Amino acid sequence: MDEDVKRILYVQTTGTEQPERSATVFFLAASGAAMDMEVGIFFTQLGPTLLQRGVPETLRVRKGGVTLGHFIEQARDIGVKFYVCQPSLELTELKLQDLIEGVEMIGGAAFNNMALEADQVICF
Amino acid sequence: MIAAIASTLDCRGLLCPLPIIRLSKAVKTVDVGAVIEMLATDPGSVPDMEAFEHQTGHKILERSEAKGTFRFLVQRTK
Repeated sequence: MDEDVKRILYVQTTGTEQPERSATVFFLAASGAAMDMEVGIFFTQLGPTLLQRGVPETLRVRKGGVTLGHFIEQARDIGVKFYVCQPSLELTELKLQDLIEGVEMIGGAAFNNMALEADQVICF
Repeated sequence: MIAAIASTLDCRGLLCPLPIIRLSKAVKTVDVGAVIEMLATDPGSVPDMEAFEHQTGHKILERSEAKGTFRFLVQRTK
C-alpha cells in the first residue's frame, strides 16, 4: 500500500427508488480519482440496485437528462472501484452475477478495514 | 519564463467533474515539465483547479478570466 496516496471511501445507501440521489456518488468519486486518489464506493442497503444489469442504461438521474450509465462509466474509466456486500444483495434479492461487470464482493470485516485505512469515509 | 504550451485542453461548456477528469488524463499524456493550457467555463473549475493542484502537486503557472472563459496553464511536475 502506497502511504503517500490519499484514499476516500464512499458509501451509497440509496438505489433506483431515488434516481435523484444516484449520480452524485459517481461523479464525486470520479473527481477524487482524477486527483490521483484511490477511491472506492461501497454499495449497501438499497445501493446495489444501481449496479443491476439494465439499470445504468435506463435510469435517468433527472427527467430528460443523461442516464446513470454515463456517470458509472466515467467513474469506472478513471479507476474508481465498486464493492458490494452479501447481506445487501440478499436485501435487494440480487446476486453478484446480476450486477454489471467489475463489482467486487466484500464482507463487513473488509469494509471496516477499508474504512479505517481510508483518509475519509463519505456516506450517501 | 513559462515553457511552451504542449497542448490545449478545451473544456468550455463542460460541467463538473469533466474538466478535472479530462485534465487528469491529459496530464498523463505529456512529459514531466510540460505545460497544458486548459480552458473552462464552469465557475466551479476555479476552486476545483486549486484543489487539483493541492492534491496532485501539478502546478498552476497562470490563471486568467476573460468573457466568462477561465484559462489555466498547468505544468506536470511528476
